[in-house]
This record gives sequence, structure tokens and C-alpha cells, in this order.
Amino acid sequence: MPKVTIDNKVYEFEGRPKLLQFCMEHGIEIPYFCYHSAMSVPANCRQCLVKVGNPQVDRATREPVLDDDGNPVIQYFPKLQTSCSMDMTDGLVVHTHRTDELVARAQRDNLEFLLANHPLDCPICDQAGNCPLQNQAYKYGPEGSRFEFDKVHKPKKIELGPRVMLDGERCINCTRCVRFTSEISKSNQLTIIERGVKNYPLTPPGVVFDEPYSMNVIDICPVGALTSKDFRFRARAWEMSKTPSIVTGTSRGSNCYYWVKDNEVMRITARTNVEVNGYWLADVDRLNYRKFNDARPLGPDMVSEGARVSTDWDGAYERAATLLRGVSGDEVLFIGSAHASVEDNYLLMKLADHVGASAPVYIPHVEAGSGDDWLVTDDKAENAQGCERLGMHPVDETVVRARLDSGAIKLVYVMDEDPVASGLFTADQLKSVDVVLHYYNTTNETFPVANVSLPAATIVETIGTFVNDQGHAQRVRPVKAIQSMNRSLMMETGLSRQDRHATPFDKWSKAENKVNCQPGWVTIPEIASRLNLDLNYKSPKAIMAEIESSNPAFSGATYDAMGLTGARLAEVGTTV
Amino acid sequence: MSGHGAEIVTLPKINPADAIPADKLVFTAEEKAQLQEYKSRYPEAEGAVMRGLWFAQEKFGFLPPEVIRLVADELGIEYARAYGVATFYTQYYKQKMGKYVLDVCTCFSCQVCGGYDMLHHLEEKLGIKPGETTDDGLFSIQGVECLGACGSAPMLQVTNGPYVFNLTEDKLDALVDSLRSGKMPPFTSVTLPQDEEEMGGNRRSDAAAVATYQTPPVAGAVE
Repeated sequence: MPKVTIDNKVYEFEGRPKLLQFCMEHGIEIPYFCYHSAMSVPANCRQCLVKVGNPQVDRATREPVLDDDGNPVIQYFPKLQTSCSMDMTDGLVVHTHRTDELVARAQRDNLEFLLANHPLDCPICDQAGNCPLQNQAYKYGPEGSRFEFDKVHKPKKIELGPRVMLDGERCINCTRCVRFTSEISKSNQLTIIERGVKNYPLTPPGVVFDEPYSMNVIDICPVGALTSKDFRFRARAWEMSKTPSIVTGTSRGSNCYYWVKDNEVMRITARTNVEVNGYWLADVDRLNYRKFNDARPLGPDMVSEGARVSTDWDGAYERAATLLRGVSGDEVLFIGSAHASVEDNYLLMKLADHVGASAPVYIPHVEAGSGDDWLVTDDKAENAQGCERLGMHPVDETVVRARLDSGAIKLVYVMDEDPVASGLFTADQLKSVDVVLHYYNTTNETFPVANVSLPAATIVETIGTFVNDQGHAQRVRPVKAIQSMNRSLMMETGLSRQDRHATPFDKWSKAENKVNCQPGWVTIPEIASRLNLDLNYKSPKAIMAEIESSNPAFSGATYDAMGLTGARLAEVGTTV
Repeated sequence: MSGHGAEIVTLPKINPADAIPADKLVFTAEEKAQLQEYKSRYPEAEGAVMRGLWFAQEKFGFLPPEVIRLVADELGIEYARAYGVATFYTQYYKQKMGKYVLDVCTCFSCQVCGGYDMLHHLEEKLGIKPGETTDDGLFSIQGVECLGACGSAPMLQVTNGPYVFNLTEDKLDALVDSLRSGKMPPFTSVTLPQDEEEMGGNRRSDAAAVATYQTPPVAGAVE
């Protein structure tokens, strides 16, 4: 197998990888800005320079030339090479800034050039604290600048499109955004204009940067030149926690990071998962986070003597259990949810089975023709595939409506769904029956007719498993804390600096944004226990372990196997 | 950098009104055939972008966005790419220019030899800033990057045509006067070292042969 020597250490490699990519994969840090694994290699930032050479070979004998000590003589390239564009060959000898002073100096001087016209915006820049240019300037850059003349000034507030703002001065012309539009999204809406110190990316006149994936350029921008119109100036990077999870509103389950400040989701950015979404995220998936912050319930409530009264959790559990006790199994309609996790739906199935009802149905959220061939899917629910694999089926609207109208259904038990808004029933139809509702938002249209309503933890507040439309099972992690949980005790949650270091008495510690809700894997076992069914698992992990071992459709989907990037499940013939 | 405080880059108009009326914004069948011929010279259509833009500038006089889009569509390339190329080169005029465009080189060699002095002299003389056109529509001036005549710095180019070398303020005054009277400067040939013999050891057609311009034979100079 061909070998390469990097910083006096020998590595083996296969094929013909680029040197920078190989180093990234082997944990050898080399600074760079313009390179991106998914796009072409322009080698224009010049930051990844390394010293490269090959062992010298005697032309006559074809034998390696040895020095006096018997070591092979290395013939280095006359100039430093950009590692991003360097094809690896057998016997290559590489020196990075760790073992070569010239490389370290080249990187330092290059940064001085990149910073020559870069404004000192860091104190007001969204990217600060999370900025490759800032990090690398600290790590590899010069102490100061020798450029004492005025910096070139470029336009600073350019609306490239409805979602993306450009600050021309901050741009270092890496062309990642331009390459994204020409190679990945193929919208071709951006170009670099002008030349020399005057250049920056822009749309040509008459073109608006409005493609449905435009916000990806914000993620890949290595400086703060491209910023989100939605997020700009709302939070600093170090004030937020950043938790890996998946997005909502699509059945693709694109991987993302949720950024949270004061228990409110501030923004969603792409997380790399080559098997699901690559490096990208659709704009709609990034901007639908307000439902996690706004119109959230204050706590459980129930209808008592004709009036809606708030209650405590025990009261709500008891009332739900009482309603379930009061009817026979075939008089209950259980509606599960393609928005809820596999674990919650599984527990609901067990509860339905225990009271003798037929298996829960789920309400499909397919909007035919609304998807593209990329990350936006027709199915707007996150876990329809997971429901199917559990053995749940889409609701048969005509049958269910007829049963409700004929009085055969006396109790509708809804978990994390809104049958009124989705058009399954009208609110009037539900007035004649009892309704138990687990719900996310007070805008839920079934909420006004519910007899017991239990605020449910959304995808950003729970632990669970979701299966995307390709059969990829992925875990979600709690992103923001809820009232019943201390986020630093929930080992899964991402923590910000304030989460780690602030006390409840610090002025920036805010508890009011913690929602008084409970995940399904807490509420359903509570109700079940009042019906003499023991569903008390140690954790969602234990629930999933049981599903994995008992249901072949989930074979391999343990928490450990899913990890951060999920596990691909085997195809199941009967699933959608 | 220019000695006039900070350099300010302005934003192009995002939605400019069309400078060329719609009925004029067309290529004839012959012109289309010519563009296709340019396209066929290159392995990929993008290769013909510069020739295509130049062709359009010869036809329309300058390249407003709608003309760049027309060329891109005709060649089957992306408008954004063609616009990026057009803005890169000062030789493509993105707006209507004066009859004589004076491109004063302000790149390294010319800058050292007084390129900016020459540019500022023209600014004062004509009463306009770089990128502007005189009210009579006769002159536009631009500060441009290297035009490849460093040996005769400082220099300028007149309307993408003849070069004027070794500028002085007097030479600029004379140039402006002669252009006002409609007289273009003559084309000056600057030869390569290997062609010196043809010109009797002289490198240039606008100056008498003097020893200064003679280059020692290359081989001898290296050893």
C-alpha cells in the first residue's frame, strides 16, 4: 500500500486522495478557508500551504540517493504547495507548520494579507466566536499587522436575497458561496465581481438570491460576510448552546444543530451527515423553529364542571386515567403521531393494547408535489416511517368519521397531534366525546375541545428515535430544558458557557422560558400506572432497546449504534 | 492606497433601468452565427465568454447588464459567470464611456514611476474622477491594473487601443489636445528581445535607437 510521511510519521493510504482531505480525516490540522469536501478545489485562499517533496532517485541507477547517515535525500518542490489541491503519491514527504518554520511563516504571512483589508468588526460580528478566520488568526496569524494605510471600504449591508445578507468588507473571496450556487444548488445566482482589493461576491443586476437552499452559504462562509437576515444580531456564539439533532417539517430528518439561548431556540444550522443530508439544509427547515418558543402551554389543564381549569400533573394524569377507565376498549380511538418519537408511539401502542383498544393510527401529513428531489420531502411529518415500522397505519378517515358520528367512539386519545387542524374531525364533532390531548402549542385547534390537555415536549425537549423516509433511524437530543428537568443533569443536552458556569442567581440566568411540559415517555407511563400497567422504563434508551430486540423492523437501532449519525435500517416490504 | 484616503468600493445598481432599448437589444442572424463560431473554437462554451463580450461591446459600445445577459444566453452560459468576467476587466465598459477612454496604469511599476501623479493630473485637467466622463462626452478616465508595459512606465492606453509611454504632465497635455482635435496617438511597436535585429537593435518604433534600449543577448546576460 502506498505510504506518505507527514511530519515524520508514516501513514498508509488508498487511491489518490487530496492531501488536505487526508490530513483532515487523520486529525492532522492544517488551516484552510476555501476548501470544502463537497465542492471543487480552487486553491485560492493559499492558507493550507505545506512543504512537499519526494525521495531523490539516482537517474542512472534508479536507486534512492542516501545522505552520509544513510537516510534518503528528499527533493522538495521549489515552492510550498497548497495541500488542498495536492494529489497524494507514494513516498510523498510532507512537512506542515508543526515541523517546518517556512510553512509556519507562510501561513502567518498569508493571514496578514487576508486581514489587510478585513474590518475589525469582531465585536459586532455574528460569526465572532465561531469564525474560522478569527480562530486561525489567533492560532496561526501574526501578532499584529504591518499595513498602516486605510483599509479598502466595501458595501456592508447588501441584501442578497430575502434570507441572506452580505457584508462585502468581511469577505476573503474564498468563493465557497459562488461554488455552492454553481456546483451544489445549481442556481447560479452568485458571482465574484470586480478584481483585486475591490472584489466580493454579488448577484448580477436583476437577480435575487432567493433559491430554497440559499442559507447554506451562511454555514459555509468561513468569515462573517454572509449572515442570516433572521438571526443577525440576536445572539453571540458563546451565549448559545449547540446541540446536534434533526430538523422538523420534513421526513428526510436532515441533521442539524439547534442553537439555544435562555431556553429559546435561536437558529438552526446544518450538521454533516453524508448518508442523510450531506452538508446541507433547506431554508424552510432552518426557519421553522419559532414553534418551539412561541405559543407554548403554561401547564396541564382540564375541564371541570364545564369550565377549563389549570391543574397539576398528577391531577391531569388521574383525570386521563379516569376517562380511560370509564369506557370500554373498543370505544376509544387512539391517535398516535408522526411528529412523535418511536418510543412515545410504542408506549401509546402498549397503553392502547392494555385497555383493549385497537392499535393507534397516525395522521399523515403528505403534501403531494411540495417536495423537491433533494432535502424537502412531500411528507411534512418527521416519523411516518417509524410509525409504519411499529405497525401503526394512516388513519382511514371515512371509517373513523362514521364511527364517531354513530357514537361508537366515546373517547378520543390524541398524542402530539391536531385532528381538527388536519381536517380529520371538526371541533363540533369532538364536542360530543371526551378528548385527551397531548399537545405542543396552544395554537392546536383540538385544544379548545379537549377535556384533559397535557403539554408535551417537542422534538427539541425530548429524547427519542425518528426514522426518516429512507429508513435511517436517528436519535434526537434535548436541546432546551423544560421545567421538570435540570439541563446540566440531562447528560445528553448541549451546554452553553452560561449553562456550565452561571448560577440561578446570575442576572443572565432565565428560567421563564422553560416550558412546563413533559415528554411522552414520562406522561404515558404515569397514566398507564393508574390503569395498573407498568410502563416504567429506566430511560428512552431502555424503551428503544426493547423495541430493537422485539421488532425486526428496528433491528440495529440501539442508541449506541445510532450515535450522532443514525443507523440505516433494513428495508421492510410493508412500509411506505 | 491612492494617497487620497481610504479606497471606497461602491455597490453596483441592483436593478438598473435598461440602457439599451428592447428593440435594439438583439443580435442579427449573422452576429449570432459569428458568436456560435467563437463558441466552436473552445472545448466548452464558457471559453468563448471573453470573445463574446468583446463582440457585444463592439456592437453596443458598452456592456450594460442586459447586454451581458444577452451574450450569456446566446452562448448558453450562466449570466452570473459572464457578469463576473465583465466586471473583472476594465477593458469591458460597464457604462457608456466618453469617445476617448484614458486608462492610466496605476499598478506596481507605473505607481512607483508616478502613475498616480499622471492620473491625478488628468483628473484636475479634465475635472472628473476616475470612472467618470466629461460633460462633452469626449473623455473618460480610469485607473487600471497592469497593462504589461512596465518597461515604459508610467503609461496609459487610449480606448483599448494605442499605448502612450513614459508619461509626463506635458505629454498628457499634448495628448489631450491632440485627442480634442481628433488625432489618435500613433501605434507604437514594442518588440521582444529576439526581434531586436529587425529594428536595428532598437526596441521601439517611437524613439531613436539609443544604447539604453539595447538588451544584451539573453545567453550572455545569464552566464
